[in-house]
Amino acid sequence: MKLYDYVLSGNCFKVRLFLKFLDVTCDLEPVDFFPGCEHKSPTFLQVNPLGQLPVLEDGNLRLYDSQAILIYLARKYDSSGQWYPVNDPETLGRVAQWTAFADGITATSSAARLHDVLGYNLDIKAARAGAQTLFRVLEDHLAHQEFNDQHWLAGSQPTIADIACFPYTALAGDGGIETFIFPAIERWLCRFSMLPGFHNMPGMNYFT
Amino acid sequence: MIQNESTMRSVIENNDLALWRGADGVARAWENRCPHRGMRLSYGIVRKNRLTCLYHGWTFNGEGRCDKIPAHPNLDPPTTIGAKVYKCVEVGGLLWVAHTENSSEPPVINGSWIPCRSLHFTKKIALSNLIARMDADPLNAHAQYLNPPDGAKMLLAVQPMGKRGTMLHLTLHAEATREDHLRASRWLIAHRLTTEIIA
Repeated sequence: MKLYDYVLSGNCFKVRLFLKFLDVTCDLEPVDFFPGCEHKSPTFLQVNPLGQLPVLEDGNLRLYDSQAILIYLARKYDSSGQWYPVNDPETLGRVAQWTAFADGITATSSAARLHDVLGYNLDIKAARAGAQTLFRVLEDHLAHQEFNDQHWLAGSQPTIADIACFPYTALAGDGGIETFIFPAIERWLCRFSMLPGFHNMPGMNYFT
Repeated sequence: MIQNESTMRSVIENNDLALWRGADGVARAWENRCPHRGMRLSYGIVRKNRLTCLYHGWTFNGEGRCDKIPAHPNLDPPTTIGAKVYKCVEVGGLLWVAHTENSSEPPVINGSWIPCRSLHFTKKIALSNLIARMDADPLNAHAQYLNPPDGAKMLLAVQPMGKRGTMLHLTLHAEATREDHLRASRWLIAHRLTTEIIA
């Protein structure tokens, strides 16, 4: 198995971290995202026509989109069914909902980070405001989950939805978005960082 | 809500604070700035009743005195090295921090109160212009009791954060059920919607 990877990418981190949680080994193929812009090179566009990371190769399968990769890895390597609970329709629906929510976090919080850290030219005000709106929704949801002793996005167990939402929430500060005003999010980030196998990526400071 | 042996960041007016609790359960509020290199102490690590700065490991006891500098293992650090410590006290399930010399004393609040929500408002909000639409008893400039027509008695406190707007803290009497907490939270969210739309 091979992962086209960039160390500073939160989307690649989702896959690296999940592989660690599942105790599955994988070769990493580093792609020079910055400053080389290798992900937009003709060679890489043959791997993923969208020119995005990560991409996973497993046998004859080649898969892009970090959320799709999480689903694949969960179905193939998580025999417990905890991370992608296909036998529990309600929880599965919530997993899909919050996994889709992660795309919104990427479009806003990750964009703000690309602007501040790598100098991307984009509407930084819109990116930060968009992230703020989503984080309010996330904050209210997590606080209400706590009232019901549910400590994860989709229920009482962590799922791929938590993995999908974690990196660009934890890295929001890199894009000038302060998360201390969202205490339930901060508690969830801290809980997530205590999952067995968790490790930081550059920009994260979770130590237990 | 600060767990034992953990830190969190907060802001009063435009003062950055590191809030932390030791294993002893005592809450502390310090200026969020290591006296060494200015790193936010809220990034720090708490072990037992001491806070260690993440940057170079300067370690402070519960009273704010630096008692260990890892780069100088044999040095007994001068007593003048310390974090700026603010007076703080927990009342009504809330942490009251005196960030200036002339901050007023916290009000007397009896009974046991459980934190419900801490909600961020983008605007500057004073208790006096809150449109509570329910029976209220003021406690001081920053807090009031609210008596909803149904459900448990609530305590609402305002934390002004300068350019960052306002945090509103809601605690409920210990007798409140989880339904009371959910109802109170929904009320505060709805209230924020109205408050932020009205100029």
